[in-house]
Amino acid sequence: MYQFASFVFLLGFLFLISVITGFLPLGEPPMLVGQVIQNNAASETGASNFVTSVVLGYRGIDTLGELSILFAAATAGSLVLSGLKQKSIESGDAGFLVKSASELFFPLLIVVGLYIVLHGHLTPGGGFQGGVILAAAFFLPLLAKPSKSINSLALGLIEGLSGAAFIIIGLIALFNEGAFLKPFFENGELGSLISSGTLPLLYIAVGLKVGAELASLLNLLNQEEVNDS
Amino acid sequence: MIPDISSILFSGAIGLLVIGVGGLLLSNNAYRVLLALVIAEAGANLMLVIAGYRWDAIAPILTGDFTPQPMVDPVPQAMVLTAIVIGVGVQALALTLIIRVKKAYGTLNMVEIKKRMEMDFDRLSQEANQPGKLEDNS
Amino acid sequence: MKHYIILTVILPLLVAFLLPTIGRFSYFLARALPPIILIFSIVITACVYNNETAPFALHIGDFVAPQGIVFHVDSISLLMALSVQVFALFLWPRRSFKLQSEQIVSNKRYSLMLLLVASANGLAFSGDLFNLYVFYELLAVATFGLISFDTNEANQARFAAAFRYLVISATGSVMALLGIALVYFLTGTLNFAHLATQQANLFNPIGLSAFALLLVGFGVKAELFPVNSWVPEVYSAASKKLSGYLAGVISKLAVLVIIKALLFIFPHSEAAYLMLGLGLAGLLIGELSAMRSNDFTRMISWSSVAQLGLVFIAFSIPGQAGIIAGLAVLFHHMFVKTALFLIAEKWGGRISDLHGQGYLNLIMSGIFIFVALSLIGLPPLPGFWSKFLLLNGLAGQEYYFAIAIILITTVIEVNYLFRVANHLFSREDKPVLPINNHHWFDTLTASLIVVALIVAVWELPTINDQLIIMSDQLLDIESYVNRVLISTENGL
Repeated sequence: MYQFASFVFLLGFLFLISVITGFLPLGEPPMLVGQVIQNNAASETGASNFVTSVVLGYRGIDTLGELSILFAAATAGSLVLSGLKQKSIESGDAGFLVKSASELFFPLLIVVGLYIVLHGHLTPGGGFQGGVILAAAFFLPLLAKPSKSINSLALGLIEGLSGAAFIIIGLIALFNEGAFLKPFFENGELGSLISSGTLPLLYIAVGLKVGAELASLLNLLNQEEVNDS
Repeated sequence: MIPDISSILFSGAIGLLVIGVGGLLLSNNAYRVLLALVIAEAGANLMLVIAGYRWDAIAPILTGDFTPQPMVDPVPQAMVLTAIVIGVGVQALALTLIIRVKKAYGTLNMVEIKKRMEMDFDRLSQEANQPGKLEDNS
Repeated sequence: MKHYIILTVILPLLVAFLLPTIGRFSYFLARALPPIILIFSIVITACVYNNETAPFALHIGDFVAPQGIVFHVDSISLLMALSVQVFALFLWPRRSFKLQSEQIVSNKRYSLMLLLVASANGLAFSGDLFNLYVFYELLAVATFGLISFDTNEANQARFAAAFRYLVISATGSVMALLGIALVYFLTGTLNFAHLATQQANLFNPIGLSAFALLLVGFGVKAELFPVNSWVPEVYSAASKKLSGYLAGVISKLAVLVIIKALLFIFPHSEAAYLMLGLGLAGLLIGELSAMRSNDFTRMISWSSVAQLGLVFIAFSIPGQAGIIAGLAVLFHHMFVKTALFLIAEKWGGRISDLHGQGYLNLIMSGIFIFVALSLIGLPPLPGFWSKFLLLNGLAGQEYYFAIAIILITTVIEVNYLFRVANHLFSREDKPVLPINNHHWFDTLTASLIVVALIVAVWELPTINDQLIIMSDQLLDIESYVNRVLISTENGL
């Protein structure tokens, strides 16, 4: 009976959404805000990647909120798992292929991750994507050797300081320029690496924060897996 | 015949949403409920990102000689970036909670979990006012 | 001065980020810092509240309005932020730990509490739909973490409750995100002021469905009817002070978000009827379940569902009468429910276990009786006045059906609240359980709430004037739009 009712509900939901989307103007968005941003972003923020200028400039406080969510999730996750006993069970290594691949890929991933973070204002990519790659770099050795764990003290330090750096850059803008998160360096030449004011600095902070948060979340779940077996 | 591009994009979003909601309603396993949530969230994100889609437009990045061209709306893309990261955080937290629930009750069956939880509440409610209770957290 | 209001959001975030690191070096500093920051932001909010009589818009990063994010600061948002911080200070988790591992855990709890306060402040001020969504999610994640912390290891139900809450909340977020996508499809903007100028595009069935999706999404925290099954579970599993904070203060911010969506996205009668219907259903279900429950915590949890139903009914009345009644019910419930959960701190078990307690702990039972009378709406107390405003507004719209349901549920309310009072002062020949007394600080907080309610009786005309000012500001959409969309130069 419950399943039948669920199916009926799903059919109704499907019909409803299909009808709604049928009326939506796909391909010709109103572009009220988007057009203005496209016209002004290059001169206002100096970033040639408009998504970056939206993420860190126009909607910078959204990004701060999102970093806080990652931080809250990592903190809450460690609170949830804190009551469990941390016992170390010997578990075997992952074999030759994974081990040597992780050693091979570690520097590569670091370089790629940093490149993507640093070029966030010029090319697709940025702090989030680069941060995820950085976290993967630090997580690969764990895959190869599951009994190891990342130094949580250092992770906590990076987490805290990179988040604080984002806010402090914003606060400097608040006290000097009168508005929180207002970009305050010279915009520089459009399209060059050192340009678009404080945006690259903010993106470095975002990249480190995202990388550290994801690494600590993975570390948390990894410890559990070892304990569980 | 090549189907209309808008119907392809929309059916992707609708399909993900309906599959996700269906999984939420029909699956009984806590982990599958979480996966269904991930799918539904992907559907909502896809819906958001195609809100800024334009025919014959390029990605919103100035390249080459920086001449302005028609570009897709950058705002939904930035918002989806935010929404995806939010989703990752919530899902990781949900995983840790699933681990604890499994440890506590030894099952992932949602019905069973609810039953055990209600039993726990009854027990706690009886014990709450018994003498000799330790100073609780507050 | 104006620009510093953003510090109430930023400083708690900054301290929360650094707190686990600080805590490793000095536990004392980690315990002392959060209350200091809270007091500091209370001072900032109070200064802005005193100095700025006119509402103003704060453009973050100095980007012009519809592109950048705007914080819109008016009396209602300032008052909300002020109550968020003051209640957080009074309901701050207490308990010092000796072991270092326990200290690290408790630092994490403090930093989650700060994140909760920061996100609640953000919800009060923000004037952008997606920004509200981000703060709402931050609030949700911080809440999950706080629920699943308990020093009583026997309480395993908290994980199951948190997980079930997470599933409901995340489903709601998906719905809210879908609603945001629909709004963006129709208008191409997310700024509330800009949306208000685009009303013509939104007044169609798609706009209504976007509003309904937002209502379901943001309604999860506001304990709205179809998505409120988490309420009794979470409030029973979490620590009672946290439950009091969630039920008393945090749920009101979700209501505020919904009111913004109602006023700026779909201010038409269909949306109001939707809210009226869901509010009535929540009221009936809440009161009936409260009557059936044998557990004190469960009873007041269901009663909070019913009270938020009343809030939604009030806001569904069109025009100024509805806003005033809604704000009155909302602020009254904020005080009353917090006091009830403070009482539940020690009396949270079965109601029948409470017999004879009234003679042992006269202060707390007196507070309970007073608060219960105000909740029911006995004439001189503020609860009567808020219910009177509500019924008056409903009568003005000729919603006699809703009036009948509210009166019937009031009778039910009397029934279950006075069943507790009967047990408290029963003269039955059973041994009285030696329940620990409430902590002196909780007793003080509950007494302060009672004092505030008594003062409110004398100051009713002043409060009434304030509510009229607030509702004028909320309803004056034209000047809201002018404040937000005119360039930032005026504000500096």
